[in-house]
Amino acid sequence: MSERIKEHPILGVQEKGRLVRFTYDGKEVEGYEGEPIAAALKAAGVMVHRYTQKEHSPRGIFCAIGRCTDCVMVVDGVPNVRTCITPLAEGMKVCTQYGVSEKPFEEQ
Amino acid sequence: MKRYDLIIVGAGPSGLSAGIEAAKKGLRTVVFDENEKPGGQLFKQIHKFFGSKEHRAKVRGYVIGQQLLEEADRAGVEVVLNATVIGLYQDKEVVVKRGDRIEHYKGNAVIIATGAAENMVTFPGWTLPGVIGAGAAQTMMNLHGVLPGKRVLMLGSGNVGLVVSFQLEQCGCEVVALVDAAPRVGGYGVHAAKVARTGVPFYLSHTIVEAEGTDCVTGVTIAEVDSTFHFIPGTEKHFDVDTICLAVGLSPMSQLLKMAGCRMVDDAKKGGQVPVCDPYGRTSLPGVYVAGDVAGIEEASSAMIEGRMAGIAAAEYLGYIGKDEMESELASLDKALDGLRQGMFAPQNRGKQITETEEGIEVSQNLLLHGYVADDELERYPGVTHKSGVHPVIECTQNIPCNPCQDACKKGCISIGAKITSLPIVVEGSECINCGMCVASCSGQAIFLVDEDCGDGTATVTLPYEFLPLPEVGTKGKGLGRDGKAVCDAEVVSVKSMKAFDKTNLLTIRIPKEYAMKARFFKAV
Ligand SMILES: Cc1cc2nc3c(=O)[nH]c(=O)nc-3n(C[C@H](O)[C@H](O)[C@H](O)COP(=O)(O)OP(=O)(O)OC[C@H]3O[C@@H](n4cnc5c(N)ncnc54)[C@H](O)[C@@H]3O)c2cc1C
Ligand code: SF4
Ligand code: SF4
Ligand code: FES
Repeated sequence: MSERIKEHPILGVQEKGRLVRFTYDGKEVEGYEGEPIAAALKAAGVMVHRYTQKEHSPRGIFCAIGRCTDCVMVVDGVPNVRTCITPLAEGMKVCTQYGVSEKPFEEQ
Repeated sequence: MKRYDLIIVGAGPSGLSAGIEAAKKGLRTVVFDENEKPGGQLFKQIHKFFGSKEHRAKVRGYVIGQQLLEEADRAGVEVVLNATVIGLYQDKEVVVKRGDRIEHYKGNAVIIATGAAENMVTFPGWTLPGVIGAGAAQTMMNLHGVLPGKRVLMLGSGNVGLVVSFQLEQCGCEVVALVDAAPRVGGYGVHAAKVARTGVPFYLSHTIVEAEGTDCVTGVTIAEVDSTFHFIPGTEKHFDVDTICLAVGLSPMSQLLKMAGCRMVDDAKKGGQVPVCDPYGRTSLPGVYVAGDVAGIEEASSAMIEGRMAGIAAAEYLGYIGKDEMESELASLDKALDGLRQGMFAPQNRGKQITETEEGIEVSQNLLLHGYVADDELERYPGVTHKSGVHPVIECTQNIPCNPCQDACKKGCISIGAKITSLPIVVEGSECINCGMCVASCSGQAIFLVDEDCGDGTATVTLPYEFLPLPEVGTKGKGLGRDGKAVCDAEVVSVKSMKAFDKTNLLTIRIPKEYAMKARFFKAV
């Protein structure tokens, strides 16, 4: 649903550094090292970051500055990582968070 | 515990300005900011700012940010990033969270410059992925180079909603509607007009009924509201969108001050709960100051002045400068700030319905209702005149603190005068040389160069253009009216991009002469 801005009329072509690979729910995805994990996911079209514990309702990026916690995911096994302010590193294992786990509710 | 003369919380325009002023006076100064990069809101602002030369008008926000950082660096301000201040106590102890560590600092003086947080509204479906804050949209597109969505509905017609809508279009998103429950556009008319002419429809007195979608937003329904903000049945409108962007106001982030025991007050005109403070940011606690949006939602231009004032006041408090020096410096800043706090959108006028300009001209109702000045309203403004040959047509119709157009014209064609909020006028008898500087310098993109009759049944209109792809000479398309609807055929006859234009391209289109005063945007077909 989303993509990168190739050239911007005011900001020009953004220099984003090194392209690295990471996984999202086991699938291999590419992103730029050091950009927020959420930016790389957004560019790859990912909308849902987590499902809430009680209602199982989906959440995605909302504030993009680390305040709302809607974007938290399980990163390298650690839950509740705010992906909008956590820099992407090569080989990261990023998983949708169900409640506080990376296991879908039916497997919990 | 580490000690500083001055601890500043927040490295936005106000915090950095305070730091620069204080460090220049010899105070050992540190600025903490929770972000990975300094600059606060500035690095998300890619448009040319309003104000006057002294307030860095017509410079783009992110460039002002770069300038401030360089100045802070030269002045020796220590800026500590990824450092969230989580506590402030009466004895000016500051608790900072850096990663997993909690650190304690003590300041002889403290300036809180934490800015503002976005307000939210709720409606069915508001938690769906795809409903985002306007700040989030800016962060994604302007800082990280990622499209926030493809088809976007914007809620909020204040300056943030208007500016972010334009920015969304600049990076290639389609803004399908700009919606506000209020009956009138809240932001600057010139910001509204530049959005409207690209074809974004405005729905005032409308709000969101529901966001649709199961895992993320796939559509949205809006409906008209009556004067008590209740939906009027049968007025529903549906849009297929993947993104709903909320720009429904900002609130001062004043929690730290409350925690420290500052006297607080609820002030709707300032955007919420703010500390009680004097004009220089002194709060009820000696040695604790505030500056910028945290003391009342305003602009970066005023935030920078407030920051400098607080920095000077803190320097005097700690004995680095004398009272006389402080007073003379504050007096000149007072004057600058006063100049900015004038006009229709000044803090004291918030919530008031203004019907006439300072000049006694009726304000454009169409601008307030639909985002653009109607054809039959335009001629009453002093920037709109007619003569043979190329001449400027200035469609700036509200009293706002802004005057780069006057400085831009070296031929003296444009005048605002001593009062910065006065409407720009086209000076009678002046000779325009078609240099284009006024068009490129106008922060509101409200100036056009028009040759109403080229002698062959055509007219030319030169307009500011900040989109990609940039049309080439010879491109055929449509001239769009102020409402964004196609009014006539148009052909691009000149494209000018110069360093002095600072990324605003000047597009000249040739159109049938009947449309000289109607066509204000170009769309290739
Ligand atoms: C879309 C948009 C368009 C705008 N256009 C204009 C314009 O044309 N002209 C103009 O003059 N102004 C404009 N503004 C307004 C301007 O950006 C703000 O008024 C200005 O940035 C306020 O400055 P500040 O320093 O008070 O706060 P901010 O810029 O918000 O900076 C505050 C900083 O403090 C940090 N912070 C907050 N709490 C903490 C904490 N506890 N610990 C550590 N750090 C913390 C924040 O993360 C932030 O970096 C615009 C704003 C928006 C959103
Ligand atoms: S085009 Fe040049 S000469 Fe003409 S009004 Fe604008 S700035 Fe002045
Ligand atoms: S016409 Fe002048 S006063 Fe109006 S927005 Fe443009 S530069 Fe500012
Ligand atoms: S989107 Fe709000 S914390 Fe990440």
